[in-house]
Amino acid sequence: MRPLTPKRILWTCGWLTALLFVAMVVALRMGAYPISVPDIVKALFNGAIGHWQEIPSEHQMVVFGLRLPRIALEILVGASLSVAGVGFQALLRNPLADPYVLGVSSGAALGAIVSLIAVPHTPGAIQVAAFLGAAVTIAAVYFLGRRGGQLDSATLLLAGIAATLFLSAAIICLMTTLTGRDLRGMAFWLMGDLSSPPPVTNVVGWLGFLFTVFLIASGAIYTTSSDLNLILTGEEEARHLGVNVRRVKLVVYVSASILTGLAVSVSGAVGFVGLLVPHLMRMLFGTDHRILIPASVIGGAIAIVIADTLARTVVAPTEVPVGAMTALAGAPVFIYLMRRRVR
Amino acid sequence: MRGDKKFRRIEEWVATASAIVLVVCFIATSAHAAPQNTARTNAAEAKSSAMRTVVDDNDRKVTVPMEVRRVVSLAPNLTEAIYALGLEDKLVGDTDVCDTPPAAKLKPHVGGTMNPNLEAIVALHPDLVVAGAINQWDIERALEHLGIPVYGTDPQTVEGMLASTRKVANILGADAKGAEVVGQLQTRLDVLKAKLADRPLAHVLFVVWMDPLITTGQDTFIADALKWAGAESVVMSSQKWPHLSFEEVVRVQPEYIVLTPDHQESNAAGLADLRSRNGWKDLQAVEEGHVVVISAAINRPSPGMIDAIEQAAHAFHPEAFGSDSTQSEAHAEPQLESTVQLNVNSECAACVH
Repeated sequence: MRPLTPKRILWTCGWLTALLFVAMVVALRMGAYPISVPDIVKALFNGAIGHWQEIPSEHQMVVFGLRLPRIALEILVGASLSVAGVGFQALLRNPLADPYVLGVSSGAALGAIVSLIAVPHTPGAIQVAAFLGAAVTIAAVYFLGRRGGQLDSATLLLAGIAATLFLSAAIICLMTTLTGRDLRGMAFWLMGDLSSPPPVTNVVGWLGFLFTVFLIASGAIYTTSSDLNLILTGEEEARHLGVNVRRVKLVVYVSASILTGLAVSVSGAVGFVGLLVPHLMRMLFGTDHRILIPASVIGGAIAIVIADTLARTVVAPTEVPVGAMTALAGAPVFIYLMRRRVR
Repeated sequence: MRGDKKFRRIEEWVATASAIVLVVCFIATSAHAAPQNTARTNAAEAKSSAMRTVVDDNDRKVTVPMEVRRVVSLAPNLTEAIYALGLEDKLVGDTDVCDTPPAAKLKPHVGGTMNPNLEAIVALHPDLVVAGAINQWDIERALEHLGIPVYGTDPQTVEGMLASTRKVANILGADAKGAEVVGQLQTRLDVLKAKLADRPLAHVLFVVWMDPLITTGQDTFIADALKWAGAESVVMSSQKWPHLSFEEVVRVQPEYIVLTPDHQESNAAGLADLRSRNGWKDLQAVEEGHVVVISAAINRPSPGMIDAIEQAAHAFHPEAFGSDSTQSEAHAEPQLESTVQLNVNSECAACVH
């Protein structure tokens, strides 16, 4: 493999971004409402220069009210889950780790179900409760996963799996008390779904908030990327080379958890992306975290934009949960790449 | 770590770039947010002369056009009501599961009831969307955000369904027709009530779902429909759709077991099927042949539900209707073994899949 230079990182990110852009254009074009590419371009152009009156109101609804916010969410969820995946895989030094392995998604789902029972039909309550559920679970697993004051990978992993099983059981017990549409909503939520409308009226401010949190958390993980490379060769060695292993672990743990909670609170448990995209990126660009993290951000965004576009269009006008799509489309690609590499 | 300095520069670069992206996002989006709202209010103002505000079943204030021309129905019971009111010309779209009457299947579909496709709804240019209890509660907010008014219905009882149907008729500008249709249905209910006045309530097990066994509590429109038919759910549960253990069924020994032919599995066979099931075949009701298969219409709070109620009443209290066949117009077929079979294919609205 060629040596990693800043130039190479920029080039890689550049063409991945171009790919993401293409995916976004396709996603903007596809959907149940028929709208041509020139119309989309016209709407975007008029929107950019502020000529709102010249856009037909239905184009405004579809492009700015439905598709753009959803694409933004897709990017956010995909990028967050992939970076969290990279973080957890490095932190636990386990290739099977993914953002959900520590019980985060179950915690979020439990929060969601409790909010459905306690304060039904309150806009935003599910999202807030899901995030709280994720946060509490993460904190609990963190304290369970420590051994002699140190974060121990194996203990942490086991604590996470135990938490997942326990929380899933609690969810199933609570689900028997839900009825009708709440239960169906919950089922969709557990599978991962981006079709539900934003919980607030100020969609723009909401997206801005989510992206700010995302940039801070993933930026924090990126600052540790050189240290993560060293930790991957062994914690002792890293410590001898002057890495503050404890601090790095804490930063990665907290940031990756925030990212997971963020993604889960807006989309439910979209599986497979956090596992698949980082591995794909490793196969394509190598294991150096300085390129792996930015590549995963964009790669995850591309993956979900494509998966959700398929989810919206394959059996239109009915929608498939995006979580089903990521697994259906992702698993074969992943297996192909894995086998090719083995050979 | 030779390239570390270079990388530090890269990290700074990334931070700056993200900051720029963030700022651009904020500017672009805030620039877009404000005018979009004004555009919407402008449009609303232009229309406001022909609008009125009504309160829907969920206590939401909804601004609907005085004259609704294009309506999309998101629930099969509402689709059925719109047809019953003779307003099918205004119905421009419904869901995948709207199958009653059969003509409803030919309307453009906007997806399932659980997550209808918002774009498909927009594409039909509706000036009103009607939603039912079966839809996700936040669909109303989502559509209203797009400037499409949504009238939500949530009938909890049979009479609630009648009142709701009248209100829908009123909003769609068919007040007289609504009064007529609902009046007829009310008369049929009154006839039933008079006939069953001195009959004891039959204790029935209403099977919402067979496997796992789900039934109805006391607080659902199905429980209310059963009361109109002179019966009562044996399950005294505060839950609406309780999961039931079979032991409980054995303990309470219902007089009748009520099935609806809406699941692809087994139910169509009715009595014969239950007689072949372990456990079930030893129930008193099954041994006596007290298995009633009634129209799946009872699962939907729609005008067609009254047919199902009449049918059930005939099955539970044949002696009350025995002598004079003139009164019962619709469903007075002679009954064999108190089992009425109807081939109604429909999605179960009440079930919890």
